[in-house]
Order: sequence, then C-alpha cells, then structure tokens
Amino acid sequence: MDAKKNVQNQPHVEEGTSKPCRTCKWQTPDPIDPLRGQCTANRHPLGGVWKRWLRNVESLTCSRHEEGKLSFREHV
Amino acid sequence: MNQMLSAKVLEYRGKTLDFSPENPAEAKIPADELHEHLQKPSTARTKRLKERCRWKHASAGEFVEKGVRAGIERMRYITEAHKASIGQPEVIRRALGLANVLNKSTLVLQPDECIVGYHAEDPNQFPLYPELSSMGVQDFLMSDYAPQPAEEAAEIHKYWMPYSLQAKCQPYFDPTDLRRMYQFSSMEAPPFVSGYNSIVPPYETVLQDGLLARIKLAESHIADAQKAMSAFPWDGTKGLDYIEKIDNWKAMIIACKAVISWARRQGRLCKIVAEHFETNPKRQAELLEIADICHRVPAEPCKGLKDAFQAKFFTFLICHAIERYASGYAQKEDSLLWPYYKASVIDKSFQPMDHMEVVELVEMERLKVSEHGAGKSRGYREIFPGANDLFILTVGGTNADGSDACTDMTDAILEGAKRIRTPEPSIVFRYSKKNREKTLHWVFECIRDGLGYPSIKNDDIGTNQMLEYSQYSITGNGATNEEAHSWACVLCMSPGVTGRRKTQKTRSEGGGALFPAKILEVALNDGYDWSYADMQLGPNTGGIETLKTFDDVLEAFRKQYRYALQMCLSTKDVSRYFEIRCMQMPFVSAIDDGCMELGMDANALSEQPNGWQNPVTTIVAANSLVAIKKLVFDDKKYTLEQLNDALMANWEGFDEMRADFRKAPKWGNDDPYADEIITSFYEDIIGGEMRKITNYSGGPVLPVGQAVGAYMEVGSRTGPTPDGRFGGEAADDGGISPYMGTDKKGPTAVLRSVAKVQKNQKANLLNQRLSVPIMRSKHGFDIWHSYMNTWFDLNIDHVQFNVVSTEELRAAQREPEKHHDLIVRVSGYSARFVDIPTYGQNTIIARQEQDFGAEDLEFLDVDI
Ligand code: SF4
Repeated sequence: MDAKKNVQNQPHVEEGTSKPCRTCKWQTPDPIDPLRGQCTANRHPLGGVWKRWLRNVESLTCSRHEEGKLSFREHV
Repeated sequence: MNQMLSAKVLEYRGKTLDFSPENPAEAKIPADELHEHLQKPSTARTKRLKERCRWKHASAGEFVEKGVRAGIERMRYITEAHKASIGQPEVIRRALGLANVLNKSTLVLQPDECIVGYHAEDPNQFPLYPELSSMGVQDFLMSDYAPQPAEEAAEIHKYWMPYSLQAKCQPYFDPTDLRRMYQFSSMEAPPFVSGYNSIVPPYETVLQDGLLARIKLAESHIADAQKAMSAFPWDGTKGLDYIEKIDNWKAMIIACKAVISWARRQGRLCKIVAEHFETNPKRQAELLEIADICHRVPAEPCKGLKDAFQAKFFTFLICHAIERYASGYAQKEDSLLWPYYKASVIDKSFQPMDHMEVVELVEMERLKVSEHGAGKSRGYREIFPGANDLFILTVGGTNADGSDACTDMTDAILEGAKRIRTPEPSIVFRYSKKNREKTLHWVFECIRDGLGYPSIKNDDIGTNQMLEYSQYSITGNGATNEEAHSWACVLCMSPGVTGRRKTQKTRSEGGGALFPAKILEVALNDGYDWSYADMQLGPNTGGIETLKTFDDVLEAFRKQYRYALQMCLSTKDVSRYFEIRCMQMPFVSAIDDGCMELGMDANALSEQPNGWQNPVTTIVAANSLVAIKKLVFDDKKYTLEQLNDALMANWEGFDEMRADFRKAPKWGNDDPYADEIITSFYEDIIGGEMRKITNYSGGPVLPVGQAVGAYMEVGSRTGPTPDGRFGGEAADDGGISPYMGTDKKGPTAVLRSVAKVQKNQKANLLNQRLSVPIMRSKHGFDIWHSYMNTWFDLNIDHVQFNVVSTEELRAAQREPEKHHDLIVRVSGYSARFVDIPTYGQNTIIARQEQDFGAEDLEFLDVDI
C-alpha cells in the first residue's frame, strides 16, 4: 500500500458507492463511535500502519477498496 | 540457530566476568526458543488447567481466541429488574438489579478447578453493561461478538438509551468537544462514553468480617437512624439526611444477601455434581469441600487459606464484573492473605496445607484470572493488545510500622507466577531496601524468565504520596501514617490505599489519558488535525507562521494541553456526579467501613483523594521540542516553515533534514541539553498545569505516565513529528521511557536522565530491556540487585524489564504456533507475544537491548 497519494486512493465521498469502506478489508471500526471507522491501508516508509479516520463508512470509499476482513495481526 | 548464550566476558575491577548460564543445562537450549522451556507448573492439575485455559485476549479490537462473545444474561436481568422497580429509590433499584442477576444467572463449574465462580453464563462469554455506555454496547451489537438472541440484545440497548450514564452526562458538553474526545488521538474519551472503570475493592472486610456481619451492621444503623428520626424535638436540618442513608443501608442489605445466596447456590451446584455426576472419589471429596467453603464464605469470616482465595474471588467478580464493570485486580495480596497462610501452613489450625499447596492455589488463581472476560468497549480492546484486561496485584514493600512486608506468602505468589507462566495477572513489587533477599531472588527469577513482571515501584515514593494526598481529604480522614503503607497499584502504575476503607471506588477519581504527541502536532497547526481525522481538534492557537520563538511554541502547546486537560478532567467529574445518582454500588458500599458508618454510596464518599490522569506519548513531544529548539531556534539551520513543509510531506524529499532532526539530542542519554528542556517540560507543563486542577475529592490531579498499548494506537493516529518520526510510527512506550532505540548510552545513562524529573509527578513508567546472557548468568542477580539499589537511591518511581532476545522474537513472528509461552512486557502489562499485532511486535523488537559495560557496573557499584 505504498501508492502515491491522490484523491482516488484516499478516502473520499461517493454517495451510493457499491464499495463503501464498511465492506473493505482495510477498514476497522472507530474505537468509540461504532458508526465511524478507521482506514488502515496507508503505510509509512518503515512499513507500519498510518491510520485515517473515516467519518462515514457508508459513503466513503477509495480505489484501494478490497472486500474481506483482515486478521488482527494486520491492524494496530 | 545460535545456542542460548554465546560466551560473553567482561573485564571489571581486575576480574574477568563470564556470562555463561547459571544453569549449565540451558547452554543446550537454542536462543530462539528459550521461553518455551521455562514453565514448570507445580502439579499435573495446574498443567492441565493451563492447557485448557480459555484465554480472552483482544488485539486491534478483535478477540484472538475463537468462540469468545458477549453473554446476554447480565443485561437481561439488570433490565428486567430496572423495569420492575420503577418508583423505588435509585440505590434500591441498583441493589435489586444486582440481586436479580445473581439470583437468576446460570452458574459455571469447570473440571479441576478449586476456586469457583464466573460472571457470565458460559466460560467463553462475558457480560455487558447497557446502563453505562450506549456506544460501547452498540459496538458489540454490530460486531462478531454480539450477545444472542441479537433481537433481545438490541431491545435492551434501546431501552437503556435514555437511562445510561452516557445519556445523563452528554447534555452538559458541547458535541464538538465530545467529537474531538472520541477521536482517541489527543484525549481519551470520557468515562461516560467509554464505560471504562477501575476500583480497589475493600477485600479486607469480606475476609475478616463476612457479609452476615455487614448485614447486621447495616440493620443496626437503620434502627439507630429510625430512632433518631422519631426523637423529640424534630430537627429538619439533620433529620432528613437519614432518608438517603436508610436507603443506602437497605440497598447494602439487599446486595449482601444476594451475594451470600449466589455463593451458596454455587456451593449447592458443587454438591450436586459431587453426589450425582462425579465418579472420581478424590474430586468428589474436593467438590464437597468447595461446597462447604461456598456455604461459609463470603457469608462468614475466613478461617483458612482456601476460604480466603474463594471469598476474594467472589468479591472480585461482584466488584469488577457483576455489580459494575471495572478493570484491574488491585490488592496488596501478600498482606491480605498472610493471616490465612499462617492459619493453614504455619499453625495448621484450619485447612492445613504445606507451602507447595499454596503455590498450587496461586497458580489456580492466576488461571482463573486468565479466563476472566471483560465486556469493555473497542477502544480498550485496541489499547491493551494481547490482554483480556488489565489485572495487576501488588506485593512486597513495608508494613504499617515500616518493617519489611515480605513473607512466605509473597514468595508463594512469585513462585506460582514463575512456574505457571501466564501473562495475567501482572504483579507489582514495592521495592524497599528493607526487603529480605530471599524474596528479592524470587522477584529476580520472574524477571529473568522474561515475564515482564514484577514491575518495580519505589516503596518510599508511593507511601509518601499517600500521605501527601491525605492532606487534601475533604472529610479530614485521609490515610494515616500507618495506612499510607497499605498501598497497591490501582491499575498498572498509580498507587492507592487498600484496606477496610478509603480505597478508590471509581476511575472518575483517577485514570484516563491524554496524548502530548498529538497535542504538539495540532499545536503546530492552529489546533487542526490534518494527519488522521481531518478536523479541528483543539482551540485556534495560531498557525506555525505565528510562532516566532521557542517560548511561542511552548505556549501554543500549553494552551492545547490545557484544553485537553479541562475536557478530560471535567468529563470525569461529571461522570462522578451521575455515578453517585444512578450508578450506585451497594455491594461495594456495604464492604467499605466508611460507607457503612456514614450510610453513603461508594461513588459519593471520598476520604482519600487520589486524582491522576495519564499523559501518554510525552517523550515524542519532548524530543520534538528539543529538536525544534536546537535546529530552528539555537542553530538556526532550518525555519519552522521548512520544518512544516517536511512534516506535511512525511519527510519525503527531506532525507537530510530528517537525519538532522533524528540526530538532535534525545531523552535517556544523560544529555544536559535535552534533559534540561525535557525536565522542565515534565515538571512545569505536563505536571505543573495538571496540578492546577482540583477534582471531586478536593486534591490536585497529578500525571501518571503509563502508555499501555495506547502508544501504538496513538502513534498510528499521529502524523510525522519533529523528532524525525514518520507519520503513523509508534510513539514512546512508557511514561518516561526513552523512545525505542534512542537510548544509546547504556542503562545507567537512562537512570541518570530519568532521575532528573522529580516535581509534580505521581508515577512514570520506565521500560528497560536487559541482556538475556547477563541476566541468566551467575552474576545476573548481583548486577540486577545493584541496579535496583541505585535506582532506589536516585529516587526513581518505577522500572520494569523485558529479558528476551531479538532472535526469539523474530522466530515467534515466523512461526507463532511454536511460541505460545513467549511473554513480553508491552507497557503496564505483559502479553503473549504471538497475541499482539505485527505493528506492536515490532515496537518491542525495536527497544534498545541494554548491555552492561564496566563503567555501568562501576556506577552501580556492583560487588562481584
Ligand atoms: S475503501 Fe479505501 S479508504 Fe475505505 S477503508 Fe478501504 S482502503 Fe481505506
């Protein structure tokens, strides 16, 4: 997930998207508010996760969307 | 694969020190599997119990073990009672809720166990608390761990929406401020939303008096109150106070009676199994003995050690999991159990046994705690990776008269921990120069086996702190000189008194975190969080172009920090306000002598203030400030604008600049330039600003730097920082620990740096990683003992150790299934390495492994 940042590969709003963050394997729920989420797809240069907050897991998406669920080992 | 200990020698005071293993058999053990060879359960039974232990470790918000989920029974029965008790005083409703849960919940009895009791209907489950946080329960309902039937759970959640602690407290705050707190990046969420809590139960009254005596006390207080109310002439300024008191005493009676009948029901279950199902005569006899114990305790005073372990465990379940959720396992366990050890092992007057049988009981207790499940919200399943919850007991230290408190019970607790090797409960050892050497050897044995505990606290500092806080008691009844010696850590780090009264009852007194690394990030950006939430996270304190001097930078930080402090501490006290009114704890009140005497709820009565808040990630902020001062304001090599450009690019294209900022002086190297700035940062800002706050109990709030696993979570939510850290990289792992890998000048330089911070602090966690060969050699104890005495003389509050090789950690990353016994110290707790996400594992590997050179041994004055 070292892709160069651009609008498409970072969380952005697409109302009615068929690939919402909620169904993406890089998404993990917000620690406090279950209606929000966290994206764990970004990596810093040493390989660790650099999270982004997801204000709305239904309408946010990005080009890196992948269906599924990751093991706890891949998150933080 | 290397053998465990490569031949390693050191010239010191004219001698050649050889660091080959003290136990020659270890020379044959490969270095990358040492931990798998260290467990030695004292009996076949505890070996079996460990093999089938139902761990409930959580990481990244998920449960590591399959099949773990929330149960429905507690939430069902508490709701049923709430609906049925409309119109009754709130405290009575709380007591009836507890009684309904205890009277109706399914009991659990497992093979082999001698300490019985569980807090949910299935040993793979844990209870939920819909009366606390709506969001916390909603997260469970939306997860793979939702209680079943799901529709019923959803109904219950909906029912509590207007009554929950969250619903009561939220209207008093601006939703914008609360949303900032929910980010869990600059501040921990308020307790009324997180539901997280901690307590120090007054176990002593249960073990010494028994609950029947507590019921009698409450009944006599009610009779006295009624007499006073009917005495002529009526005085309305005093007489009306009795109404609330009578309700409290009545609630205490309901709660105690329910607990007695629940324990006796557990006893009857053991009897039924013994008489109708169990075929092994030995186990039959054992079950009948447990049945007898559960009939007697906690109703009556304990007479022997088995009684004490059982009564203590029942009390733990009620106070930490059934009446209300609370993390922790706070107790001064060796002092608490010593009278019963004497009765059973020395006098043999009741439940006679030998020392090794005590060790077996300790192992069984550890396994019971290891199976305990906590219905804590997702944020807390993230920030304690590898743990089921924080369970920390305390031993050692000094008695009320100042003499050594170590006993054979202390040794049994330590020996049991070494033998069974479970990550929980963690142990705190209160280090005093008066402690006997025999016990210190057990402490060392646990440490060098890599358990990560005991973590060591300074006995004098903790005792003096209890006396200092006592001066602020609003009832004028704080800890006495004698009681000040009774302290145990409430959770990982912060001392609080134990005993029959004056203990901490709710985390709104002390606990909760805020995060200086993120606070500095937003202080450099006019309060805006560009790197994680993309929102305003604090007040507008000016953009980087407005910061002309180093003092401007410090003042911007101070303003952001004050905002975070104000939010964290005011939300805690508002939680307390409503805990007193709708989250009463009649059972805890019944077993506290103060509440019993005064007819008060445990949340309301504060006799000994103990306010604290945890700054976590302080060293990333502090090292960043040092780098800014040196490179921007002193050397003028870069401008703040250039630094800002580099940070916004996550240092990409700014390699040389990043190298300069990484090379700037760092904490933990006894560097006068860095240490002067950082000491003042700790004492003047982190502690100095916090100290200005007075909490519900009337005392000042002081910092307890202890990172738990929040240093990972917050690191992953914090952008690049001026210490040369990349955005998302973990933050510092302690409270005052050097940043991983930057303490390059050896272990004694770390101690010299840390000793400089003394003012306005309550506790600060120091993580150190020591060399495996040195610790496992025959010189290991002498070097460690000298290190500890030097640490003590330098008046440092805390230290804890990892003793594990990088080879073994790497091997466990490659083949986790072969390394289930590899335990590491994360921060205030230990965990199985394989239960931690890779992100966190790498932070442990990155910690500087401290070797001792001849100059270190000189500084420590090691006599070999
Ligand atoms: S869709 Fe994109 S932004 Fe959303 S969680 Fe997946 S990777 Fe992250």
